[in-house]
Amino acid sequence: MRRSWLVVPMSKAEQIAQAPRSGADVIVLDLVEFVADEDKFAAREKVRAAINTVKAGGAEVFGQIDPESLHADLHACVWPGLSGVVVPRAESPAQMVEVDELLSGLENERGILPDTLKIVAALETAHGNHAAYDISRASRRVWGVTLGRADLVMDLRPEPSNEIHLMPYLMQRLIIIAGAARVTPIGAWWRAPDRGLLATPENTYHAAQRGRAIGFKGAMCLRANQVEPLNRAFAD
Amino acid sequence: MPVVTPRFVDHAWRRGCDFIVLDLEDSVPQHLKAYARSLVKDAIRNVSKGGAEAFTRINHDTVLADLEAVVWPGLHRVKYPKTEYAEEVRLLDTIVTRLERERGIEPGSIEIDPSIETAAGVANVYEIAAASPRVREFGATTSGYDLSRDLGVEMFVDFDQFVYAKGEAELAARTLELGVRAAPFVANTTGSVSDPNRALRQAEAACKCGFHLGGGGLNPAVVEPHNRGLTPTEEDVRDARWVLEQHRQLAGSGETWVEIEGRAIDGYEAARARDTLEWAALCAERDQEKAEAVARTKAAMAQQSPPQK
Repeated sequence: MRRSWLVVPMSKAEQIAQAPRSGADVIVLDLVEFVADEDKFAAREKVRAAINTVKAGGAEVFGQIDPESLHADLHACVWPGLSGVVVPRAESPAQMVEVDELLSGLENERGILPDTLKIVAALETAHGNHAAYDISRASRRVWGVTLGRADLVMDLRPEPSNEIHLMPYLMQRLIIIAGAARVTPIGAWWRAPDRGLLATPENTYHAAQRGRAIGFKGAMCLRANQVEPLNRAFAD
Repeated sequence: MPVVTPRFVDHAWRRGCDFIVLDLEDSVPQHLKAYARSLVKDAIRNVSKGGAEAFTRINHDTVLADLEAVVWPGLHRVKYPKTEYAEEVRLLDTIVTRLERERGIEPGSIEIDPSIETAAGVANVYEIAAASPRVREFGATTSGYDLSRDLGVEMFVDFDQFVYAKGEAELAARTLELGVRAAPFVANTTGSVSDPNRALRQAEAACKCGFHLGGGGLNPAVVEPHNRGLTPTEEDVRDARWVLEQHRQLAGSGETWVEIEGRAIDGYEAARARDTLEWAALCAERDQEKAEAVARTKAAMAQQSPPQK
């Protein structure tokens, strides 16, 4: 069950310590979006221990890695206990194949059963969305797809209706493609003032309900107080 | 505007438009098509006098005759209505390329703007946008008039009717890294094409969504509100400066974002703020350019015909 995905920056020791009590189904240890450049090196060193810390609450653990530094980030993340990786700004099937091959090597090296680790492709650019079907089918490891923070990466801002520009189209498109490619669509139907996965608990609940109604099977969030509304909205 | 109506064409240069579309298509009756073609060469010069770019809209089914009539120095763009196949755009490109060469126009300078107004056009939208390097701006239209006719539906409803068609066109434009035209939804239940308030709301919505390209209008009354709506306000500019100041203070703090007064300040907000400031500066520059062109034309006209005593 992967209803709620709480993204926690690897540079924030306090948030990592609190994550096991968040109730999230999945904790995403982030090395990309919320870690300042000067902290990246130190952040990578801490992932192995953090996997064990956050698993203590029963959550699954994913690592969010930077497509610009695949090698370093995958070496830092792939340890027993990890369920998979989130690839933000995913743009091409070739990228998925590269991640797949690196994961196979590391599974073999570090005593993890082959094909254990999954990929969630975050399609946050026009190129990524254009290639969504091929990306979803590029590797057997691709388990899920999401729009991640496409609203920020593609600079999609609220329309007068409070819908975030282009997102209703991109969400519907992604859900159909995910269904056709047999991967899981992750996301919620955010509306202004929600921005970049951030919202109040109440808005999170409504966004998740709308998201569930169009086919999403769980959603990512940035704050611990968004976890409970996600679990509730996506409960069977 | 219909190229056959002199009172529109002759006054167009005073309207403050960024571009003027000389129409050979829907606004020109069938029996006047040949006459219309004979007027375009002079009309291009005429409408450009106030600093506007001259565009023409040709007919879907008389491409060769129309292009022979419109591809002259001073023309910036050919709008091609009801585009359905990439092949149509490639044919246009071939003819425009030959005419540019024959008529001493810089090769590759004239743009092609294929309008997507039918279901077939939507189905082939990516291939159409990718068919020629002359397609430099692309995306959704604000009107949806021809599309609603093709689909046999009522237009001017109070909800966003063409989410899929608009989305397909915009995703193609973004993927191909073209200039993106977008149409944030603003209800138009009156069906008016000359309502200045609605033009302002539509342009403001586009500006707030971060877009810089206007779709044009059918009445001179919408030009000023259109330009005003797409230009950042003083408040927008002040706010952008404030965001950049807050973002500067983040540097070296080890934080990638901070929440101030309920707003997230991060690299994305800073990029939006920089974009607003750059766009405000470009708008001011363009307004200055047009004002100078109008002043030059007026001075030249005054010299040619001195006021009667």
